[in-house]
Amino acid sequence: MTGSPGEPAEPAEPAYLRVPWSVLDDYHCFGCSPHNPRGLALRFTARDAGIATTFRLDRGHESYPGVVHGGIVSVICDETMGNLIVLRLGRTAFTTGMRLRYLEPLRVGVEYTCVARLRPTGGRGQAAPPDGAAGGAEGGVLQAEAEILDAAGALLATATASYLPTPIEVARERFALRPDEADRVVAALDAIASEAAAPAVSQADAAPRVVAHRTVAHQDVPHQPVPQPAAAPAAVTDHLREH
Amino acid sequence: MSTAQATTTHDEIVATVTGIVAQELGVPAESLAPDADLRSVEGADSVKVLRMIAKVEREYDVELEDEQVFAVNSIDGVATVVLDTLAQDAA
Repeated sequence: MTGSPGEPAEPAEPAYLRVPWSVLDDYHCFGCSPHNPRGLALRFTARDAGIATTFRLDRGHESYPGVVHGGIVSVICDETMGNLIVLRLGRTAFTTGMRLRYLEPLRVGVEYTCVARLRPTGGRGQAAPPDGAAGGAEGGVLQAEAEILDAAGALLATATASYLPTPIEVARERFALRPDEADRVVAALDAIASEAAAPAVSQADAAPRVVAHRTVAHQDVPHQPVPQPAAAPAAVTDHLREH
Repeated sequence: MSTAQATTTHDEIVATVTGIVAQELGVPAESLAPDADLRSVEGADSVKVLRMIAKVEREYDVELEDEQVFAVNSIDGVATVVLDTLAQDAA
């Protein structure tokens, strides 16, 4: 969009990827929902074969004075890697394990970018949990990695994680969704999966290398536990994702 | 990130780690001896050393234990723990 003559043009809106949960009126994912007042409201853009999100956190996410809480850094890495699977493969998955290396503290009020990509499976290789432990896997465990970078590109944190894809029939039972809501989410996931499977150059591959911008504006909001689906089994993971 | 091969040798890892250290510290690779104390290299600090370790982990697709990371103090030491970890992962 351009402004009036003589006025500088507004920067183009980044090409945000649409999470399938956005078909629901009030989805509350702590990481990516715009409807959760205590959440991070992250938005994602394509970044090569992966995805990226840019964020700036306020004092509501502080640990030491001026330092972003390490647990929040972990959430952002997990959220970005988890949404990578959702947005690139059209599959829902639960986190089964994650490992972080904190290189340098993140500062409150400073902009950072988290970039996630899939890792080749079979490299280090992680055995899938016993069948049934998470409702049965649709394929093997997926491996992902994430990096948090500052505006100059300096590496501040790295993460690796494994994700167990969840068949949509299982997800229907475990997510707190009405049947009609589940149908809409499934349709959105199917659309993503179809695009991912298309042989032609995908829209994601052709997307500009831009990243999302989001400022969390809920000052001094105390930490709250991440909302958990009511029917979620404890056996799946102690770091249960909504997607 | 490259996938480490079973045939990776200690010398090859030393060469790769030397390149990463040189890049991170902005010094010529030729100036870095394998047995030199990493934290004594000009421009080095604990954050930069950790950053080097993170890049080495990505390069070889390994996850070093913190005890290993904080115990090593040379390029040669990093190469040794990487090789050990690769061997453990392959076992």
